Amino acid sequence: MTTYIVGYTIIGLIIAFIIFCVLIKRQVIFAETPKMQKIFAHPLMFYSFRRLASGLISFVLAILVTFFLIRLATPPDNTCQDLFFNPKISTEVYNLKCNNWKDNMGFSGSTIQQLGKFFYAIIPVPKTLCITDIDTTLGMYTIQSCRTFIFDFGRIYKLSGTTDGSFVIDYMMPRMGVSFSIGIIAVVVEMGLGYPFGILMARYQNGIFDRIGRAYIISVDAIPGIAYYYVWMAIFCGWLGLPMRYIEGNFASWLPAILTLGFTGMAGIGLWVRRYMLDQFNSDYVKFARSKGLSERRIMWIHVLRNAIVPLIRTFPTAIISALLGTYYIENIYNIPGIGQAVMISVNSNNSSLLSGIIIVSALLSIISYILGDVCTALADPRISFTKD
Amino acid sequence: MLDDENENKDELFSSEVISEETNAPTSENKADAKPVSKNVKDTELVIGEPKGREYRKYKRTHKDKKKKKTTEVILNGSTFTEEDLFSTFESDPRKVNSVSAEGTINANLDDLFKVVGTNDENLEKLDSAPYSYWRMVFAELFRKPAAIVCLILLLIVIFFAIFGPMIHFYNPLNYVGGLWDHGERFLDELTANGGYLGPTKDYWFGLCGNNMGWFEGHDMWSCVWIGTRLSLLVGVTCALIEIVLGILIGAAWGYFKWLDPIMIEIRNFIYNIPELLLDILLMQFFAPYMDKYAFWIVVLVLSLFSWLSLASFVRNQIIIIRDREYNIASQTLGTKNWKMITHNLLPYLISVIVTTVSTAIPAAISAEVGLSYFNLSFKVTQGDITLGQVLTSAASGTAFMSHPYLLIGPLVVIVLLTVSFFVFGLALSDACDPKTHR
Repeated sequence: MTTYIVGYTIIGLIIAFIIFCVLIKRQVIFAETPKMQKIFAHPLMFYSFRRLASGLISFVLAILVTFFLIRLATPPDNTCQDLFFNPKISTEVYNLKCNNWKDNMGFSGSTIQQLGKFFYAIIPVPKTLCITDIDTTLGMYTIQSCRTFIFDFGRIYKLSGTTDGSFVIDYMMPRMGVSFSIGIIAVVVEMGLGYPFGILMARYQNGIFDRIGRAYIISVDAIPGIAYYYVWMAIFCGWLGLPMRYIEGNFASWLPAILTLGFTGMAGIGLWVRRYMLDQFNSDYVKFARSKGLSERRIMWIHVLRNAIVPLIRTFPTAIISALLGTYYIENIYNIPGIGQAVMISVNSNNSSLLSGIIIVSALLSIISYILGDVCTALADPRISFTKD
Repeated sequence: MLDDENENKDELFSSEVISEETNAPTSENKADAKPVSKNVKDTELVIGEPKGREYRKYKRTHKDKKKKKTTEVILNGSTFTEEDLFSTFESDPRKVNSVSAEGTINANLDDLFKVVGTNDENLEKLDSAPYSYWRMVFAELFRKPAAIVCLILLLIVIFFAIFGPMIHFYNPLNYVGGLWDHGERFLDELTANGGYLGPTKDYWFGLCGNNMGWFEGHDMWSCVWIGTRLSLLVGVTCALIEIVLGILIGAAWGYFKWLDPIMIEIRNFIYNIPELLLDILLMQFFAPYMDKYAFWIVVLVLSLFSWLSLASFVRNQIIIIRDREYNIASQTLGTKNWKMITHNLLPYLISVIVTTVSTAIPAAISAEVGLSYFNLSFKVTQGDITLGQVLTSAASGTAFMSHPYLLIGPLVVIVLLTVSFFVFGLALSDACDPKTHR
């Protein structure tokens, strides 16, 4: 019940807010108060709304793609046979069980009906979904078990460590927490290393450090991720003696994954910091500042760096949000129970609903992070205006 | 700083004095004279004061000069003192003719030059060395030592990919079950080492270890080079498809305006979902057909979305270049569309195309390695060996920590292949850019 109240309140508030903003923009209400006009009819607000609408299209496309590639490609009969086939039970019971399972999973009906059910389960609206169970040992009767959802991605079957029919969302949430706790430290490490790296390369352009740095960036770019991660693994675990397997609560066992992520991400950040800073160094205002006799240090830290970071601001929300999704290879290499490992598990155990859940969640999160990134850039950069004149 | 005397001299340089007394005032005189009079006054203005260490240094060095109280004149960007200026005017005969120190003007410029006449042949000639695009590209390319080193490494890798397994080794696919199923001569060494045998005189990369599944007991050298063959083939095919699709779709995208919103939504969608997840999804979708069309499915999946960056670049370039003056000029002069594309548009794109090829090949090889890690790529049981399979199966488990030779062989080859492609490609694309020529 609380889910319903909270869910519908949030949805109602969002709709009311959009209507409120549109009314102010059309000057129906608060036409004479410039302060309200300035806040709620700000071009940035409507730009965000447009981006949200565009993101919604991507989200719908992601749902359609997963539906057609996963749901229609994995025929439910095979899974049904895996789950319920037993030489001891009669065909009638088997069919009954199978059809019941198909009903529960939304496999029954025509393609359009299945698509409708799939959409209804995924769109973020509070809903109650019920499962009917058939107990064949005590005679034939059905048990209703209902649950209220915001998102429903289906159920997991035939997976070690879980009971058959447990919810994908329950499986994903704790894994997301693990991925995030490692990912967020890795983001701090990679930014803490990447920015000084890029700044130093730009400061001493064509020097020894710059050359070594560029070689490092190229090698990170070119070498396949897996090969590169194993080299780091050999360094951290073989040479430095850090633990090779993730242990919850033992920070030393998190370090190899965090450092690998940090050193990899550092290259990407350093590349862009260097590029943007060199762009600024060659611009007229820096030459002017130099000709006026400003010290190199002041030009560097006050003028160049602040301007160079503006285009990089959009990477902050993206980095933080994508930390939720973990990394596909590193989590498997170090056995970290995160989302990335869940991808591998879903592939190996043919749990298509888990894979589709991960894809839809990652699409949703990356849409949000892109919008946030654009809004942050617009807020930070005074040159960006949304009016056409 | 400007005295009364100097003001008189300032008048001397002004354009009015010259134009009144000369019959044919040249534009050169005017252009020269005006900034002089302006800048003499500008020296009065002090725009901000430099501070800090630099200023103190400046003050120290310029202390002596300040006492002399000379007028500084800025002419064409360089600074002259008053005396300098007069001496230059005296030494330059043309200027002396137009403005002498006393203010008299003699405009007999014709005396200084003589008419040579025209020669039709010389008129057609350009006074520069003959220019050939491709010759310049190679000249630029071979100026860089890194490019040459990478090209040599690349050729070595390709040479071994073709001839490596032929030298004196064997095709692992003919010896299912590994070498020790087909002869027991290393049994003692193997049992002593727990199923691992490092590089020897006969087996240069050692034997595949116990942890490597299907590869167990095979010669690593042969596996690596046979894998390189298929990986290279996949990479090159993907790059070709990417270029063709990228240019065609990008051109259509730039040309038809109604296509723009649709393509932008598709681009947003593809950027929003991690590429690896999409690849996994597609590989699972195509899994039933992997027996027959493994190569084409892998190529299709790897190149399905990679054309996007090239296409959006081509689209931007076409929108920018399409309406440039030289294109409109060609159009009005009746140049055919095909010639417009090959002569006006493609030269702009060639450097991007080369960059795409050079990065697409290692990218496709890397992507295949990623798919192998998820066991969704080629199946070795169907007779397809790739570098990705060798690498991921060598790295499975923790055996490579105690037996590093397992990883070194495939790792070195894969790193050489991708890095040398990448670096050589970047150098080539720099060299292909006509802006860097001369």
